[in-house]
Amino acid sequence: MTRLVPGLQPWLLLLVPVLAGAALGAALQVTEPETRLYATASPALLAGMAGLLATIVLAGLALARRRAAAAAAAADAAVRDAVAKATQERLRFLMRLDHELKNPLTAIRAGLANIEHADAAATADASAGAAVASVSAQANRITQLLGDLRKLADLETREIEAAPVDLPGLLREVSEATAAIPAAGERIIRVNVPRAPWPLPLIEGDRDLLFIALQNLVANAVKFSAPGDTVEVRASEDGSWVLLEVADTGTGIPEDEIGEVWHELARGRAARSIPGTGIGLALVRVIATRHGGHVAIRSRVGQGTVVGIRLPVQARTETAPAVAEPRQRSDPRGKVPA
Amino acid sequence: MPCMEATHGSGMGGQGARPVVVLADDDDAITSNLAPFLERAGLTVHVAPDGEAALELVKRLDPDGCILDVLMPRLDGREVLRRLRADGRWLPVVLLTQVGESTERAIALDEGADDYLNKPFDPHELLARLRAVLRRARPGRRPLSASPALRAGDLRLDRIARRAWFRDAELVLTPKAMLLLDYLLTHPDELMTRDRLLEVLWGFDFPVGTRAVDNRIAELRRVLDDDPVRPQWIATVPGQGYRFVASVDEVR
Repeated sequence: MTRLVPGLQPWLLLLVPVLAGAALGAALQVTEPETRLYATASPALLAGMAGLLATIVLAGLALARRRAAAAAAAADAAVRDAVAKATQERLRFLMRLDHELKNPLTAIRAGLANIEHADAAATADASAGAAVASVSAQANRITQLLGDLRKLADLETREIEAAPVDLPGLLREVSEATAAIPAAGERIIRVNVPRAPWPLPLIEGDRDLLFIALQNLVANAVKFSAPGDTVEVRASEDGSWVLLEVADTGTGIPEDEIGEVWHELARGRAARSIPGTGIGLALVRVIATRHGGHVAIRSRVGQGTVVGIRLPVQARTETAPAVAEPRQRSDPRGKVPA
Repeated sequence: MPCMEATHGSGMGGQGARPVVVLADDDDAITSNLAPFLERAGLTVHVAPDGEAALELVKRLDPDGCILDVLMPRLDGREVLRRLRADGRWLPVVLLTQVGESTERAIALDEGADDYLNKPFDPHELLARLRAVLRRARPGRRPLSASPALRAGDLRLDRIARRAWFRDAELVLTPKAMLLLDYLLTHPDELMTRDRLLEVLWGFDFPVGTRAVDNRIAELRRVLDDDPVRPQWIATVPGQGYRFVASVDEVR
């Protein structure tokens, strides 16, 4: 019973029948002077009446609480169901789209290869040659887009490797790999990995996928900044979570577009002149989510953007620091303010 | 008991002859474009519109190779492959699979496909893979990709159990490194670009990070005690990818 009325001390509840009994006794004494003797002689009756009253009050309270909790749980479950259903439906749609487009695309590409090979005379004509090249490039572009969408759907459902990932090593690799990003040499790239007072904790996950997520963020930062701009890759931890951030002093994202960036195929106005399929951040989001983490983005037009991936610390090494205050037990997949 | 016919795959693959290939896909738009492309590249192509027709054509023509779409009416490509192998027909088979279906790739290799390709593919890529499997074909003998166990020097691989031994010690490998080892052993002496290996590991290419492949190759080299400078197992092909250089045979 006491569990159903959280927040109230149990001994306080014992006062309810006593107070109720006293109040009832007082009322009887004031209104019916003749029963005074009867009342004083029958404390048992008073106690019984008080007990009955208390039971009714407590039962009512408990019922109200339980109803409220059930309603909240039902609402929660409904939201979860709706989200799961929407995800399922989106995945099914992506697979249908993939299925319906892959055959025509295969045929188009084979047809183009035939034209290119067959008729040297036809493609020798400059305009015809240019047309074939253009159609071919567009077919490749659709192929790429389809592949990217399928990739996302696959990452949402495939099994994720859960091996210990050494973050300092991973970040070092990300920083070494920036050399392969076009124009990255014209940005000032800084990587900040904390060593004091202790190194970053181990996390569990798929190293390749985490690398791809970070590499994507760095490539984005380079893409949406200019020569001389700064790109920072940094990491921090608070005991339960690791925060990996990629920040840039680039063009920034307008406020009305910031809510859209995590969706597949989202391409901001500024991105229209820049090649890409608009899948990068959606990929980052899926990878973070599949690792039990979250993503967040902040941006100011003209100043730059910072994208964060928050990942749960799952493996505590023996050298992990002692925490003075009692650690709160928290669900690593629970919501955490970004 | 599967029985092996002595005449299998022998007649067509002679010197200078055009290799004969059966192309099975239920989509006419694909076969009508792909067949002329392959013909022009020097192959003789017979088209089958479904799985049963493919099986029938292979039995009648005894071709050098076969391209099977996975999704076909009547008999799907995988069932055709199963029946061919059960029948003791070891001709090289390329399966046309779905993008990213990792389980489908594993199954394709388990069932003895020589290679697989995701739709929509580049027709030149199909041609390159087809040529590679035709070159690797051992007429009348089971292909490496249909063998349950392989050996290369001191290295032994049980492909069904996904376990490997080197100098009599069992190798401890990540699942992806094991997948990579399986692919390298079933495709020896073939240039593997990083993109191709990435596709083997993941089922699709990533726009960034072929480093994932380099890491797994490094893992394999470490357990195989291989010196990248003087490789006995995996050679680096500068600027292109890797090649498994040891000679591989099936364990009988």
